[in-house]
Amino acid sequence: MITAQQLTKRYGNRTAVSDLSFTVRPGTVTGFLGPNGAGKSTTMRMILGLDSPTRGRATIGDRAYAAHPAPLREVGALLEARSVHPGRTAYHHLMTLAHTHGIPRSRVEHVLDLTGLTDAAHRRIKGFSLGMGQRLGIAAALLGDPATVILDEPVNGLDPEGVLWIRTLLKSLAAQGRTVFVSSHLMSEMALTAEHLVIIGRGRLLADTTVADFIRESGAGTVKVVTPEATTLAGLLSGPGVDITRDTPGTLLIHGTDAEHIGRTAATHGIPLFELTPSAASLEEAFMELTRDAVEFAATVEGAAA
Amino acid sequence: MTTTATTPTRPNTADRTTPDITPRRVLRSEWHKLWTLRSTWITLALTVVLTVGVGVAITATYESGGGDSDMDAVLLVLLGMQFTQITIGVLGILVTAGEYSTGMIRSSLTVVPRRLPVLWSKAAVLGAVAFTVVLATNFVTFPLAQAFLSDTDQSASLGDPGVVRALVGNAAGLALLGVLALGIGSLIRSVPGSIGVLIGAVMILPEVLAILPYEVTDAVVRHLPAQALMSLTHAQPAPDIASPGSALLSLVLWAAATLATAALLLKRRDV
Ligand SMILES: Nc1ncnc2c1ncn2[C@@H]1O[C@H](COP(=O)(O)OP(=O)(O)OP(=O)(O)O)[C@@H](O)[C@H]1O
Ligand SMILES: [Mg+2]
Repeated sequence: MITAQQLTKRYGNRTAVSDLSFTVRPGTVTGFLGPNGAGKSTTMRMILGLDSPTRGRATIGDRAYAAHPAPLREVGALLEARSVHPGRTAYHHLMTLAHTHGIPRSRVEHVLDLTGLTDAAHRRIKGFSLGMGQRLGIAAALLGDPATVILDEPVNGLDPEGVLWIRTLLKSLAAQGRTVFVSSHLMSEMALTAEHLVIIGRGRLLADTTVADFIRESGAGTVKVVTPEATTLAGLLSGPGVDITRDTPGTLLIHGTDAEHIGRTAATHGIPLFELTPSAASLEEAFMELTRDAVEFAATVEGAAA
Repeated sequence: MTTTATTPTRPNTADRTTPDITPRRVLRSEWHKLWTLRSTWITLALTVVLTVGVGVAITATYESGGGDSDMDAVLLVLLGMQFTQITIGVLGILVTAGEYSTGMIRSSLTVVPRRLPVLWSKAAVLGAVAFTVVLATNFVTFPLAQAFLSDTDQSASLGDPGVVRALVGNAAGLALLGVLALGIGSLIRSVPGSIGVLIGAVMILPEVLAILPYEVTDAVVRHLPAQALMSLTHAQPAPDIASPGSALLSLVLWAAATLATAALLLKRRDV
């Protein structure tokens, strides 16, 4: 369990993280989302004690990260920036970390194997691709068989196979009862991997919710129906997995089934439809909508900006 | 969505044999870090080659009654230390600043979040390695160089008074200088910047101070790191140098003060 309480970080007069509180629970994957510069990496560095908070505090389990007698067994972390000496081999890099906790060589070999790096183990990290570097970072994070895993953009630089591998890995770590906290820019990726979401923008908490709730509230996959016989239609369509909300009288917002099914059902029962509109908003758009005011580095397209 | 295991299995509690961080383990980690880098082998090889090479070059061309006749017997043989101060210093800087320039420091301080054991272990490992390598090199260089001096006024042997002490003192002095450089590297966090500070503070500053016409500066200059190292390398006492005891004490204090400052800031600063 990770707890952030009123975490605040200022660099000079720039506030990177502001009064951020949230809890990350064991047994599920929690996605940490936010646009560039939102403060995700800064928050993770504060949780790991690398940067000290200007105010507030972060704990892992019952105490601060640094207060654990065997931090590597408590928390495994993949940081955003490369944190290796490129002159060492992958094997020796992991061994230097393993020694601090008396972790045996067999465990180092195991995590190398787990991340598909066995063949590259004795090559210097200098020659590694971006994806191999990520894999090595993940190998280091898993080294202590930790109860909590904190990964800053783990899919960054991975090929589709690697992305799928991460997705499966994160879910299996959570299924084993571990706390999994993983940052990303991509709502669509998190929707596939995470159950819980912590969304921030400009260092502030924007949403602390579940993926299911976010999808429901975002209106993604919703079909809007306007009909004089709303109650009848709602009764006909209701069923497991179908979520129907009534907007104004005569307007239904239906989630969990598609426009074709709704249209056919209405036709079969002779219900007139005045409007049948699948919602255009995708999950990603809903995320962008939520974070719009909090985007640090808004891009302006030349010409269009004028 | 299905909820996972109602009673989550704590994955890491069962196999806790001896999981904690101990000073011994951090030392082992730092030792592993040191020997797995090519730069360590290069700087140490250069140290050996420069010590032996300069020692042999000077003694092979030595003539009695020349300008170096009144130079100390050990100092003459170990004049290569003018260069090895730099190679050992660079090694010390690489141990700390090298981790900042590559980003390795983030891994190091994540696995040992109390931070200070990392600095102490780095200093201990570097000090021990530098001392051992320099000491062995000195004990090879002295007899080798003396082979060229047998018929000269600089003829001496390991058994002569002060010779062994000076050979050991030089190794201790260089090791302490290495630790001092390691502290500078931790403070400055950049390899070129630290090398600049090392050369400026340890090698150039004394020259500048020595020019000043005040009595006190002489006493101060004598106890600066490079001058203390030179004093330690003397087999015989000389009028204008610090005694071996006070020279060693000054070097210990310089290294300790730098390391203590580095420790204070390591604990406080963001990584
Ligand atoms: N060491 C630092 N010194 C000064 N400012 C910093 C530092 N680290 C981060 N910042 C600033 O803090 C803010 C948050 O940065 P952070 O890297 O945490 O964002 P992020 O959410 O991880 O972004 P990204 O998605 O691009 O990785 C940014 O404005 C950044 O410029
Ligand atoms: Mg980031």
